[in-house]
Amino acid sequence: MIVPLLLSILMILAASAAVWMAKPVHAGLSLALTLSIAAVIYLVLGADFIGLVQLMVYVGAVAVLIVFSLLITRRRDEEEERSLRPKALVMGFGCVLPLLAVLAYAVTGGIDIKPDRWEPALPLQELGKALFTDYAPAVLAIGVLLTAVMIGAALFARETRKETK
Amino acid sequence: MTNPLTILVAASSVLFALGLLAVLTRRNAILILVGVELMLNAANINFIAFWWWNKSDPSHLGPMFVLFAIAIAAAEAAVGLAIILMVFRHTRSTDLNRLNSLRG
Repeated sequence: MIVPLLLSILMILAASAAVWMAKPVHAGLSLALTLSIAAVIYLVLGADFIGLVQLMVYVGAVAVLIVFSLLITRRRDEEEERSLRPKALVMGFGCVLPLLAVLAYAVTGGIDIKPDRWEPALPLQELGKALFTDYAPAVLAIGVLLTAVMIGAALFARETRKETK
Repeated sequence: MTNPLTILVAASSVLFALGLLAVLTRRNAILILVGVELMLNAANINFIAFWWWNKSDPSHLGPMFVLFAIAIAAAEAAVGLAIILMVFRHTRSTDLNRLNSLRG
């Protein structure tokens, strides 16, 4: 019971670093840390496969992609980000605090909590079978989507190169 | 409040709120994308936590959702960053306050 609590606290600390860090690259690295801690939470809860997928796809691909983009787009006048505008903060907290209040009400009042059950992990065989039987259309759709995304991203990159010539 | 499910759901609500705060207050487009990723992860943690809470469900719907959500999030990040980099080549900036004309 203490492990999820500790991991949650660590994850929230890392996420607040990602939100508050002044330098963009530091924020990107904090995002990678947050995602890794989420992967550890999945592993602790018994969803081994999901935790490893999270580590490979999110931390290995998405977070690294974001950090590299931040490095590419880095500029000298970076410290502008450091002066957080009070207006944006007022508006941001004005939107976020009511949302947090509603979520806190739902979490503390709305759930009928059963006793703890620490059961064995996600059966990988069943998951694989389900992916290629019940979820086959969804897998095909994801394949089409990823192909479209790959072509689209390549197209974006090529077109801009032509324009700059 | 000491049940792990409550702790995880509360943590994911805070994570979602932090992501929304990043989206609303950041100016750098890539850091707004970071906020979106945080919100997506909050939803994924909810899926896994409730799947873990109710193991009697044999279809493992929660992990399935997370698997597909991760794939779609990767696609979203790729397209989002491609668009942001294209805008950066145009305007030499990722500051959204400077993107105030539609004709580039």
